[in-house]
Formats: sequence, structure tokens, C-alpha cells
Amino acid sequence: MLKRRIIPVLSFNGFALVKTKKFSSPRMVGNPIQAARVYNSRGVDELLFVDIFATEQNRPLNLSFIKSVLDECFMPVGVGGAIRTLENISQLLSIGADKVIIKSAALDRPEFVAEASRTFGAQCITIAVDAKKGPMGEYKVHSLNGDTFALQDFLKEMEDRGAGEFFIQSVDNDGMMEGFDLSLIKLSQETVSLPLIAAGGAGDPTHFLHLFQECSVDAAAAASIFHFTQYTPNDIKSLLAEHGFPVRYNLK
Amino acid sequence: MHVIIDYGLGNTASVLKAVRAAGFPAEISSNPSLLENAETLILPGVGSFRDAMHRLEKLYLIPLLNNLVLSKKKRFLGICLGLQLLAEWGTEDGVTQGLGWIKGKVEKIPFSGQRIPHMGWNNITPTDSALQEALPSLDFYFMHSYYFHAEEEYVTSTVEYGIPVTATIQKGNIFAAQFHPEKSQEAGLAYLRFVLGKQYA
Repeated sequence: MLKRRIIPVLSFNGFALVKTKKFSSPRMVGNPIQAARVYNSRGVDELLFVDIFATEQNRPLNLSFIKSVLDECFMPVGVGGAIRTLENISQLLSIGADKVIIKSAALDRPEFVAEASRTFGAQCITIAVDAKKGPMGEYKVHSLNGDTFALQDFLKEMEDRGAGEFFIQSVDNDGMMEGFDLSLIKLSQETVSLPLIAAGGAGDPTHFLHLFQECSVDAAAAASIFHFTQYTPNDIKSLLAEHGFPVRYNLK
Repeated sequence: MHVIIDYGLGNTASVLKAVRAAGFPAEISSNPSLLENAETLILPGVGSFRDAMHRLEKLYLIPLLNNLVLSKKKRFLGICLGLQLLAEWGTEDGVTQGLGWIKGKVEKIPFSGQRIPHMGWNNITPTDSALQEALPSLDFYFMHSYYFHAEEEYVTSTVEYGIPVTATIQKGNIFAAQFHPEKSQEAGLAYLRFVLGKQYA
């Protein structure tokens, strides 16, 4: 049986780990290599490592640094931040990334997702979707150049273009630690049939339990809970297991 | 020396790191003389069946692999797409001929309400008791949309994903895993030791 995955997110600003609230006011929270080492020793299910300002700051991928993070990891790792070319993807896969997380390039040039999927296989193409709730409760995805897309249209287009997975983040709940945006996740899972990773808002293990009780996603990602509380991914998985959800137990 | 075949497709760095972490000397190469002297040929792969076969053809690796693995009985380990390439036929992106070392073809996982790709940790069910005994945990990391509908007698474990999907294969010196041992932490390293730790004449 497929296990529910709990995925720590390491968001990076080019030199240190940072954590944002509602995608702004970044706060430094440590060293990515050390964090990767700790998560590896705890046997986490998967890790996402994202340079969240790379596109905005027009900074290229720092491959040697990313490699030193990947070298610590024996679990699957998705890497994101300023991925715009097939060569970027090929470089990341060759230094040990398993998935690439594409955001801006997918919004600006959806055909890039199709090329990437044809070249490297859909299973390694994860699309980051940062959704913001509008005044009427509708969800929109914004690009850096100011284009706005309806959530459902964007998800369907990406699925048609050959994406392999979605990383759905609630911009409004980011860093707030008050729970996932369940209506966002429900709407996303009804719109597409690809695997989804839910993110944005987890602050307590019960938030993960509610997510899995209410939604059919297989994976949940979080950052703040691991930076700012004593909870570990294993604490969350223990709670899920108590409620009958299949999780993977670590051997260590 | 265990050699990870470099044909431009596949997460060779991760496989190298895991094989070494499992305690074996290894390197990445497509040099025929290194392949000829390897203890094991490891064929990783991510991407499409068609593209992978074309790349192997372009590097003239197919006759070499046939000779080393089928005639000289060198140990072979296929990982993910490397398992699927053992099939007679692939159906991703049109029909493509595979290595054909094991009968059967590679098809899309039939949709029955589950999300595809099959992505994440899932437990395998071994039918081979030696494999079962070698593994400290049966959870492995999968990421694939296609599966090898293989000759049953060589399937040594399956994974349930709507249907029983081939998870591992063994036919004499030929081993293969649909999951990623290099990404499956302790269980994955145990699988690598199971395959690479045996003595072959």
C-alpha cells in the first residue's frame, strides 16, 4: 500500500535556509547541509530543496552547493529554483536530484514543461503551484511578470503538458502554522489526477491528520513546524499511524 | 569493481553514492573495456523507454551487453527504467524493441482510480524467500508510470498499485528492481547488498 509521505522543505536564499510568512519577510533558520544531514539521519521520506529567490534575483543555480546538500541525502530529493532550461534539469539530475520543481518557467512557457517531460520522463517533473485566494474564494496563480491564471486552468494545462506531480502551496497560509488550506487541496485533487504534495500552513501534527482525513493526497510538505517546534516527521507519522493511515516506519 | 553504465540517462551519481555506501567499489563508465572487466553491470535509468534504447544503440552498447550478460553471464542489475529495458517491447512513445532478455512488454499502469505516476514509498511482496530474508524493511521508493508485465517465473516480488506490479526480477545473473534502491535508504542498501554481495564464478 502506498504510504503517506511527510516531506520537509528546505527553502534557501542562495547561502542560508530561510523561512517566509505568506511568501515574504524571510527569516534565517540555518545551514542547508546540516539540515539535510539531520533529515537523512532521521530517515525522512523525501526532501524538497528550493532556492526561493533565485528567479527574482536572477541568480543561476549554484550547482556545487546543491551537490553538497544532495551528497548528504539517501532519500529522494526534489530541487527547485530558477530552472529554465533542459540543461538545468540535466545538470541537477546528474548531481543526484531525483525531481526538479519548476515554477516560473512553467507559468511563462508551458511548452517547456512538455519538453522537459518528454526528455526526462514525467516522474521527475514537479510543478510548484503557489495559489492565492481571491476575495470571492477563487484561487489564482501569479507569475513574476504579473500574469494571473485561474488555479484549475493552470493545473489542467500542466497535466496536459506532461507534468508528473504537483506541489500545491497556499500563499496565504505559508508560515502561519495554523493548518493547511483544505479547500485549496480539495479543489486541486478534483481538478487533476496526478499525485499532489500539499503545503502551506502546517504547525502541529494534527494539521497533517486533518489534511489526510479530509483530502486524498499522498504527501504533505512543511517547513516551519520543523524549524520552530520540537516536532519531527516521525512524530507526525506516529499520529497518522494511530489513526490508521499507512506510513513508512524508519529503521533507525 | 561494479560499473554503473553511463549512457546519458539515469541518476548515475545517486546510484554510485548508494553502491559505495552499501560497501562496494564502483564507478561510472561507458568504456567497453571497463564494462568487460566489471564484476556487475548496473543500468540505471530515468526517462523514456524509446530514448533509452536509442542511446544504448548509439553507443554500440547493445551487442556488448548481450555478449557480456547473456553469453558470459556477467551479473547485471537494472534499476527502474533499467528493469523495463529487459522487456521484449516498450510501448511508451510508440512501440520500441527492448533488450528482450525476459519475455513480456512494458505497458502503462492501468488506471483504476489511483494517481499515476506511482510515486512514493510502497511495500513489496517477495515471492523469493532469500530476497525476503535479506531485507530489513519491505518499503521502497517508486516513481514510474509504466510497468513490466514480465514472464511470471522470473518475478521475485510485486507491489500492489491497482494491479500487482513487477517490483523485482531475477533470472540467473540478471537482477532488476522497479523501485529506486539508491533512494530507499537502509532497505535500498540491503537490496544492493543482496544483489552485489553474492559471489559469481
